[in-house]
Amino acid sequence: MIRKFFTILAAVSAIFSAPALANGNIALESEIFVERITKTAGKPAVVLERPTSLIPGDRLVFVVSYKNTSPTPATDVVITNPIPAAVRFQETLDGSEQVSVDGGKNWARLEDLRIALDDGRFRPASPADVTHIRWVILEDITNGDEGKLTFRGVVK
Amino acid sequence: MFKSQFSTGCLRLSAISIFALAMTTSHTALAAGTRAGTPIDNTATASFDGPDGRVELPSNTVSITVDELLDVTVDSSDPGDVATSPDADDEVLTYLVTNTGNGSEAFTLTADTARPGDDFDTALVQIVLDTNGNGVYDPGEDEIYVAGVNDPVLEPDANITVFIINNIPADAEDGQRAEVSLTAEAVTGTGAPGTVFDGQGDGGGDAVVGTTGADDDDSGFFIIQAASIALVKEATVLDPFGGTSAVPGSIITYSLIATVTGSGTLENVIISDPIPANTIYQTETITLEGASLTDADTADDAGAFDGTAISVDLGDVPGGQTRTITFQVEIDDEVTP
Repeated sequence: MIRKFFTILAAVSAIFSAPALANGNIALESEIFVERITKTAGKPAVVLERPTSLIPGDRLVFVVSYKNTSPTPATDVVITNPIPAAVRFQETLDGSEQVSVDGGKNWARLEDLRIALDDGRFRPASPADVTHIRWVILEDITNGDEGKLTFRGVVK
Repeated sequence: MFKSQFSTGCLRLSAISIFALAMTTSHTALAAGTRAGTPIDNTATASFDGPDGRVELPSNTVSITVDELLDVTVDSSDPGDVATSPDADDEVLTYLVTNTGNGSEAFTLTADTARPGDDFDTALVQIVLDTNGNGVYDPGEDEIYVAGVNDPVLEPDANITVFIINNIPADAEDGQRAEVSLTAEAVTGTGAPGTVFDGQGDGGGDAVVGTTGADDDDSGFFIIQAASIALVKEATVLDPFGGTSAVPGSIITYSLIATVTGSGTLENVIISDPIPANTIYQTETITLEGASLTDADTADDAGAFDGTAISVDLGDVPGGQTRTITFQVEIDDEVTP
């Protein structure tokens, strides 16, 4: 019932102000943080910094923030993040993601994916095999809704 | 429904720092890693049904450049101590210098022959780069190293073989060892891990000193293996009457006892002894370790008699071994006692 109402509203909005909304109604921001280990009073502490540069082995936290900035809802939202070539994917925070190990062609939970070996056999896919990660958001995102999606990786 | 989605988002946000603390695990030593200067670009894309149909919306792109990590290792390539002898020239120790950083880097090389704690110091002749890459010192073909002139430039994970050429002092003694070290330092700079050289990295970023401190050294060793020979000559006399008097007609049996001492091996040892005046060599009487040798100078027989002296070719004799040679002469009749 609610779902229908939103759909009608969206259609009405589209008629009145199609050009302004054609670009969509979600603001998406990508950020990269790096973990730096500092010693405070002899005890190591991890701080997250916005790096200007990186070295191999640096541990990264990727944060993708989304927010609906318009009065119209977005439905069937899928947020996709290709893993940069120089980064080895590690994991997400809550495991709610789907991953691809073949450049975004096939998607599944990591534990359900496998990699073909040269001898015709298969091995289970590991985090290092991941090429893309995506989140399928089941609920509609309406005005003012926002969230953050995070995953971790290491500079190869 | 909305509430639960939203609160999940908040949880994710607040959990980042906690999650980070749990992950302070070991830093894996990556050999080279991503090449210096490589950008890490990240762009997320949202795909959704909006009012105007399906929308593909990219996020901003975050671009961060990978810095140059300065790292190097030096390893002695010799399997153990290199045997040498006093006063030997152009003796070689071999090392391998590897760029374990992630950028193209030049390295300054330094040899140290005056290491403390060893028995003697060699004289440094020169450092030579294995420019033909065969792992073997080729005098006149491999390039002589001059600091600041032909500092070897190594790509990430690449290595070069380096030779240190030494002269051994004449007063070095058997069993003594000499340590010679090779140091390689990144030309961009060295220091404590994490030291940053702004803008000096390969690929345009900074250069950062890695876990090796951007310098390393390793030592090779020489050991003196010398040997010396001592000769003792003994004589026993048997006169024609069964006694031991030295009279005309008496047979003298000479024994030459050669003793080699030291940790080395004497090579191509030949013992020769002239036949004394007023004696006559008794043909075919040469023995070595009790076995008869012939007088003929042939390749398959160690003994020889050339008319004035006997000789025995002992070949190579390692330290700690003894060889006994005997031969016989007769006292000449014309000698008056």
